[in-house]
Amino acid sequence: MKNLKKIFALVLAMSMIFVLAACGGNGDDKDAEKMKVGFIFLHDENSTYDLNFINAAKAACEKMDVEYIPVVNIPESNECKEKALDLADRGCSLVFADSFGHEQHMAEAAKERPDVQFCHATGTTAHTSELKNLHNAFASIYEGRYLAGVAAGMKLNEMIEAGKFTAEEAKIGYVGAFTYAEVVSGYTSFFLGARSVCPTATMEVQFTGSWYDETAEKEAATTLISRGCKLISQHADSMGAPTACEDAGIPNVSYNGSTVKACPNTYIISSRINWQPYFEYIIGCVKDGKEIDKDWCGTIATESVLLTDLNDKAAAAGTAEKIEAVKADLQAGKIHVFDTSTFTVDVAKNPNAKVDDDGHLTSYMADVDTDKNYTPDTEVVKDGYFHESEYRSAPYFDIKIDGITLLNEKF
Amino acid sequence: MGANAAIELKNITKTFGSVVANKDVCLTVNRGEILSILGENGSGKTTLMNMISGIYYPDSGHIFIDGKEVVIRSPRDAFDYKIGMIHQHFKLVDVFSAAENIVLGLDEKDKFNIKRSAAKIKEISEQYGFEIDPMKKIYEMSVSEKQTVEIIKVLYRGADILILDEPTAVLTPQETQKLFAILRRMRDDGKAIIIITHKLHEVLSLSDRVAVLRKGEYIDTVNTAETNEAELTEMMVGKKISLNIERGEPKDPTDRLVVKNINCVSREGVKLLDDVSFTARSGEILGIAGIAGSGQRELLEAIAGLQHLENGEILYNNPKTGTHDNLRDKTPMQIRDLGVRLSFVPEDRLGMGLVGNMDIVDNMMLRSYRKGHSMFLERKSPKSLAEKIIEQLEVVTPSASTPVRRLSGGNVQKVLVGREIAASPTVLMAAYPVRGLDINSSYTIYNLLNEQKEKGVAVIFVGEDLDVLIELCDRIMVIGSGRITGIVDGRSTTKEEIGLLMTKTQREENGGAL
Amino acid sequence: MENHEKHIREPFFHIAKRDTVVWWLAWLIRIASVAAALIVCAIVTVLLTGENPIQVYITMIDGAIGTERRIWGLLQNTAMLLCVSLAVTPAFKMKFWNIGAEGQVLVGGLATAACMILFGDKLPLIVLMPLIIAASIVAGAVWALIPAIFKAKWNTNETLFTLMMNYIAIQLVSFFTYQWSVPKGSGQIGVINQDTRAGWLPEIGDNDYLINILIVAALTFAMYVYLKYSKHGYEISVVGESENTARYIGINVKKVIIRTMLLSGAICGIAGLLLVSGTDHTITRDTAAGRGFTAIMVSWLAKFNPLVMIFTALLIVFLEKGAIEISTIFGLNAAFSEIITGIIIFFIIGSEFFINYTIKFRKSKGGAAQ
Repeated sequence: MKNLKKIFALVLAMSMIFVLAACGGNGDDKDAEKMKVGFIFLHDENSTYDLNFINAAKAACEKMDVEYIPVVNIPESNECKEKALDLADRGCSLVFADSFGHEQHMAEAAKERPDVQFCHATGTTAHTSELKNLHNAFASIYEGRYLAGVAAGMKLNEMIEAGKFTAEEAKIGYVGAFTYAEVVSGYTSFFLGARSVCPTATMEVQFTGSWYDETAEKEAATTLISRGCKLISQHADSMGAPTACEDAGIPNVSYNGSTVKACPNTYIISSRINWQPYFEYIIGCVKDGKEIDKDWCGTIATESVLLTDLNDKAAAAGTAEKIEAVKADLQAGKIHVFDTSTFTVDVAKNPNAKVDDDGHLTSYMADVDTDKNYTPDTEVVKDGYFHESEYRSAPYFDIKIDGITLLNEKF
Repeated sequence: MGANAAIELKNITKTFGSVVANKDVCLTVNRGEILSILGENGSGKTTLMNMISGIYYPDSGHIFIDGKEVVIRSPRDAFDYKIGMIHQHFKLVDVFSAAENIVLGLDEKDKFNIKRSAAKIKEISEQYGFEIDPMKKIYEMSVSEKQTVEIIKVLYRGADILILDEPTAVLTPQETQKLFAILRRMRDDGKAIIIITHKLHEVLSLSDRVAVLRKGEYIDTVNTAETNEAELTEMMVGKKISLNIERGEPKDPTDRLVVKNINCVSREGVKLLDDVSFTARSGEILGIAGIAGSGQRELLEAIAGLQHLENGEILYNNPKTGTHDNLRDKTPMQIRDLGVRLSFVPEDRLGMGLVGNMDIVDNMMLRSYRKGHSMFLERKSPKSLAEKIIEQLEVVTPSASTPVRRLSGGNVQKVLVGREIAASPTVLMAAYPVRGLDINSSYTIYNLLNEQKEKGVAVIFVGEDLDVLIELCDRIMVIGSGRITGIVDGRSTTKEEIGLLMTKTQREENGGAL
Repeated sequence: MENHEKHIREPFFHIAKRDTVVWWLAWLIRIASVAAALIVCAIVTVLLTGENPIQVYITMIDGAIGTERRIWGLLQNTAMLLCVSLAVTPAFKMKFWNIGAEGQVLVGGLATAACMILFGDKLPLIVLMPLIIAASIVAGAVWALIPAIFKAKWNTNETLFTLMMNYIAIQLVSFFTYQWSVPKGSGQIGVINQDTRAGWLPEIGDNDYLINILIVAALTFAMYVYLKYSKHGYEISVVGESENTARYIGINVKKVIIRTMLLSGAICGIAGLLLVSGTDHTITRDTAAGRGFTAIMVSWLAKFNPLVMIFTALLIVFLEKGAIEISTIFGLNAAFSEIITGIIIFFIIGSEFFINYTIKFRKSKGGAAQ
């Protein structure tokens, strides 16, 4: 009897909530005037990766006069699909997600709502997908990394001249997340940039197995420093590596934004992708009823690739001028980041590569169209250079070149 | 009286929910006197004292100390008024020495100096006749030594109003006499002493005046010299009752349970049972006397299959089959499967015999829930059993579906004993079955045990009140430090004889050391 | 003069235990405490953000049940939380502090994912589905069995043990996430068998979640009956209330501990199955999403009654969903909505105190007590 009463009270309480909710639902007026754009972020403002997207999204929405609807802390699971569809229900005609792992869940959502455009950063499948409303985007960040590498090379030169170490000891350390093309492309372009000014430079790479793990990144950077690396850069999202450098007094080239506040003595420069141009582009497309590019790649020209906050205190003299000059050459097509004459490749380590007698790359079949077995499907070496981010926006340069030592490949 | 009154209570009332623990209680204690507070369990004695010592706060009423009204909100306030309470359950840190426990929590201005403290403890000890080694660790102490530490603790803090809650419950007759001598000395020193008890003869021998409480209400205060046992009982219970237990002669006693040379060792390697042998016969009550913690619990648990034994035998003579089964190191389930009808009323009623949070019906099932092959419980017969016990033993409860922890101590015990008897046992073991019970309930339990005896059950009764043991039991076995120190005839023995047997091993050991 | 001193020194209020409370008063106290929580939250909202609190609450409700999709999402999430809560309940009732549900769910999910990845295109569905179900249940059960055996045999501390097992489970998932990552090296598995849907739980009608909800509903009822009416359930209660009593009546405590933890782990395994095969179709370190810990709160709040747990799980998921909506609509930091959730839960837990105790205030001077 007592239990019966309890259950009755429960039902009563629950029905009250539902009634309340129904009232609440009615109060949700549809604002037909303003276009709504939904953004799905993996973490919140506390992650430098997401902060980069959040700032760009806010600025783009303001500029284009559309309503900005963010949802944060969305894991790479069914939750992403749920949120994407929920944003569509809410009246968003455009939904964007910022993490690689969101892609397939966005695809699921795109299937269900063909009337809404779903855009996704860093993904690889949209250009081969049958879904018309699923789009990928990336930027030629390897160019930015190359320029950052130039700054690093100049710093190495300066230190060699100052007699801190010999030219042969000019070793760069790099903290990466996974042995994934995006990371490989990043550190290789960085290394080639550095070697273009400091020919004796070598590099060691340590992987952490996580995109965000402050302790592991700090530990990796410390290991590299103790192994004699004279300069550190990283491709992972925490402050682990920069703070380790500041503690050890080792110069650092950063990523995703300036870390000068935390590292005033060692921070040199940072490369980052600026997503604002892309956001403005997709919002514009939806507004004008135009098709969005299936696979959009930002460049230096679109201001999607930026170098931020050169720190004069740590950078070598003349860095700014040199970067400007190289940047102009890159844009003019005078030099290419992955110029095959600038590096050699060991075929034993890279089964998809073909090389000439000197070890320079002559042909490489890359896995551009993602499929289950990673079949190499596209020839990407032409005209003496590796065409990165041209056949699809997400990087596919995954060659292990000579001069770079991978300390652990388990990730 | 007024000028001499150390503490005076006026119209103190305290309720817990709908239970009135104290109602309009008025009391006066003078300096230089011992006041007994007499009452049955549940009559509100401890609650009242807890209000004086700042643990509870009264709902209404006034407290005066030396004629001035005071408010005691916390034990610290009580200290400030020089009130010290010695609780029934000691509050000592086992791994600390006596001196460390005594100074623990004291906010002395100077740095802690164990030597100075020890000196002060010595001084107090000599003044009142305590025997104590300040450096001895608590875990090495006997119960009476621990009590001494508690008393010195409050004296050290300068208390001149002392409250002792059932101080003799854990003591042997000899230790009790020693404690009383000390208390008299304190009285002569001008201290006001309140002693809570329900033992009448102690009241008469120790106190100057007696205040009686009954069911939370204050009945009266009388001068000890002008009263007697019968009058006090009547005040306490509210009606005249006879205090005699009828003891029938055992009917054709046969050996039911033969225990031979059992030994039991604790995990720390201490001998808990040392070469124990005895026989329990059908149709008689075998009493077990001894200082608390002398191995009584282990002995009963060993028989019930809950205690691992080093060696020895426990032989059960099955009256139906005539077989002799060894119960040693068998689980309770195995013992039951042998057809041994063994019932056990453990000392820890709500922690072992019953489950406090379950209702009476579910507690009835504890012994019988396994019956049948169904995966599900059958609650019908436990329910009728519960109702039967409630009716026959007059258990006061709102219903059979009331959690047993809500029942009073006496009713809890009736439920437990009722269930154990309902299994129609051939051996019934009861450990301290009347502890904490009022006089009426106690007699109900004695009668139940006697009924079982008449039915031919071998009853084993572990008790603490020697008067009761002598009146109730046919034979009394005395246990000291895990050893049987003697088995005496209940009809011819005396309290003194049993008291000596209780401490026999201790004295032998001490003698050996000297 | 004395009276004045007494008045100052007497405590302003003191706490007294209540007698048994009639059910309607208990519910009145609970409702009142929720109302009080809402008022406190409103004040905090205005102070911290300057938003209209009524609007905030409407947004909250809207976020949880504003559209059909959200209602289904709410029910699905409630079902998943409830499933894990059901799993921890028998262990907690037995006073075995199983805080390893998180890990048990994860390994259950990992087993599911492993079967889907390794056998997805090799075995027919009729073989694959039973294999997945069996694998997930066994994985969860084994993960719970290990600490149970150690507890039963060597009396190890199950709290620490189960907690440590969580970390092992998380690292196992990390390890296999890398092993099976798509594309290679990306550190994520992605949707498994997206084209063939091999090993996915079937949809009922057109609804992705209905099957999960129905399974958990059936489990809830079964658990209620098991705990209340079965001999096993009775033994669990006795062991939980007092191990001494259990020994006294001849219950094999070790056996009950191991059996109950097997059950607890198996249900966690089912939760992992429902998460991986039923909704996410992938596995990450976050698949359990802290449910293993939230479930403890759900279970305690409901005093281990599975039927009441439906309500407490719903409440917690409702608050979570509502909180996310607040941060979206008002552009507030996600931490703010968690503050609101925290305050409400604090009041709900606190209400139990006022159901058991009452506060007596100091009586006014003039003897108004008469």
